[in-house]
Amino acid sequence: MTHDAPRDELAEERPPLFRTWRRLYTFVLAELALLIILFYLFTKAFA
Amino acid sequence: MRTLDWIVLACTLLSIILYGIYKGKGSRSLSSYLLADRNMRWYTVALSIMATQASAVTFTSTPGQAYADGMRFVQFYFGLPIAMVIVSITAVPIFRKLGVFTAYEYLEHRFDLRTRTLTALIFLVQRGLSVGITIYAPSLVLSVMLGWDIRWTSTAIGGAIIIYTTFGGVKAVNWTDVQQMLIILSGMIIAFVMTIALLPKGIGFVDALRVAGGMGKLNAVDFSFDLHNRYNFWSGLVGGTFVALAYFGTDQSQVQRYLTGASIRQSRLGLIFNGIAKVPMQFFILLLGAMVFVFFQFERPPLFFNPVEVEKVSRSFYGDEFRSVERRYAEVSSRKAEAVRSYVEAKRGGDAKLIEDAASKLRSLSSEAELVRNEGIAVLRENDPSVDPSDTNYIFLTFVIKYLPVGLVGLLFACIFAASMSSTSGELSALATCTVVDIYKRHIANDGDDRHYLRVSRFSMALWGVYAIVFAQYASRLGSLIEAVNILGSLFYGTMLAIFLIAFYVKRIGGTAVFWGAIAGEAAVLWCYAFTTIPWLWYNVIGCGVVVASASLIQILISGRVTPASP
Repeated sequence: MTHDAPRDELAEERPPLFRTWRRLYTFVLAELALLIILFYLFTKAFA
Repeated sequence: MRTLDWIVLACTLLSIILYGIYKGKGSRSLSSYLLADRNMRWYTVALSIMATQASAVTFTSTPGQAYADGMRFVQFYFGLPIAMVIVSITAVPIFRKLGVFTAYEYLEHRFDLRTRTLTALIFLVQRGLSVGITIYAPSLVLSVMLGWDIRWTSTAIGGAIIIYTTFGGVKAVNWTDVQQMLIILSGMIIAFVMTIALLPKGIGFVDALRVAGGMGKLNAVDFSFDLHNRYNFWSGLVGGTFVALAYFGTDQSQVQRYLTGASIRQSRLGLIFNGIAKVPMQFFILLLGAMVFVFFQFERPPLFFNPVEVEKVSRSFYGDEFRSVERRYAEVSSRKAEAVRSYVEAKRGGDAKLIEDAASKLRSLSSEAELVRNEGIAVLRENDPSVDPSDTNYIFLTFVIKYLPVGLVGLLFACIFAASMSSTSGELSALATCTVVDIYKRHIANDGDDRHYLRVSRFSMALWGVYAIVFAQYASRLGSLIEAVNILGSLFYGTMLAIFLIAFYVKRIGGTAVFWGAIAGEAAVLWCYAFTTIPWLWYNVIGCGVVVASASLIQILISGRVTPASP
């Protein structure tokens, strides 16, 4: 039970705001790192 | 609940059901019914993914978990953004290019029918078990509100969900998910603002954070490595990544959400949005729980948050004994409230010695209160040995019912129902899709036309709904619900994940090796569950590792040479 994928799906489209998907993925991981640092500082500040 | 609350709740729920039916109109082909014609934009995909993941348990149990155990549960989500990136890079293009209906369909392309069927069956067992819990959570809410037997409430809620999912299919599921997620987010923000506003005069947000932190509730990050510590940075990052990879990469209830995207780009953006927003959202919900904890430091909390159990013991032979413990608990709580105020004053003053003295007194009174509370729970158990000693799931609801203003109570309950509907409907549609596409069409009747499979899909959707209701009747003794859902997932996710990881990345391993490797991996996980004390977050890692190792070994043994990859 498969279908032919639409032709435009096969082309790698650019993500919004970033030039490449790699940059968007880097942004997601950088945000995670920043959140962990902020949560750690939050934990320490109110412990 | 007052009349206005009932009106708000009824209007919200009715609007969801009607919106679902309206949006689901025109689902007259299998592709439309099960994949929404693959024309969803990224924001619909994103909110549908988030709504499916955020079950009612998220809003009944998570704040209670922060109240009882602090915010460390947030670390469980640290692996999620990593998983979103990996799934976007690997799974999305493959699933989309093959045009599959289910993730398991891909496994037949890559391995063989046997591996596809085994994985589909694992999914049906695992998701079939957890969908019962997803219905059970809001049933609990209604039974607390109305004093009804939980069997009746689960039947009523499950029935309502079945109607609109069976009628509207995935289109209805996705669009109502968007509506439900917006209701949920607005409800949670309002609840947070109200919690801060309800703190005693002179106690601000920063004071509340100081109290919560001083009493060990803001423990969001713990870098110490301990295999037996359920939630720390390492278990969250490693175990959490495995759980999220398995959930988003192999669980049809999530795969189906992003398969409805209009293109690879739309599907990827939906996942990435979840990767960006999920961790802050969970932090926020846990912080809400911590603030409710602070609220109950000033306002006397009930000895036990489950009102049904309290009512039961009060009417029993142990009633006088329980009331006596309640009075002592009230007295200790009142002294504790004074100690909390002293602690706040000391923190404001900044004198280290005064702070330490106040903190020491607070710790001592907290321990005393906990001892008295345990005495109360012991009385409950004397009266009924089968009573669940955990009242985590009732904490936030008690706060909502007793302290939020009229109208908002209805809205918050609507949030919980919306969350339940969103996750249950997503799970039901995934179960029905897998049943029809991977089992029925592939093994039972492969010569039917589109209308036949559409009818079978509707029937399957309804049947899984009925099954979920029946299962929910027996879910009342599983402790903290959110953990129960995640533990159930962890028993199976490692194996499923390994099968897909091998499919994506280890081209030399073939179908026979991965099939028997999967059997070995599942046996290893079940053995760990039954005979060891290893925390459940590590089951995914263990299961995945055993499958990959044994499949590699079997591949070497059976062929002694490299198996060519499937195209």
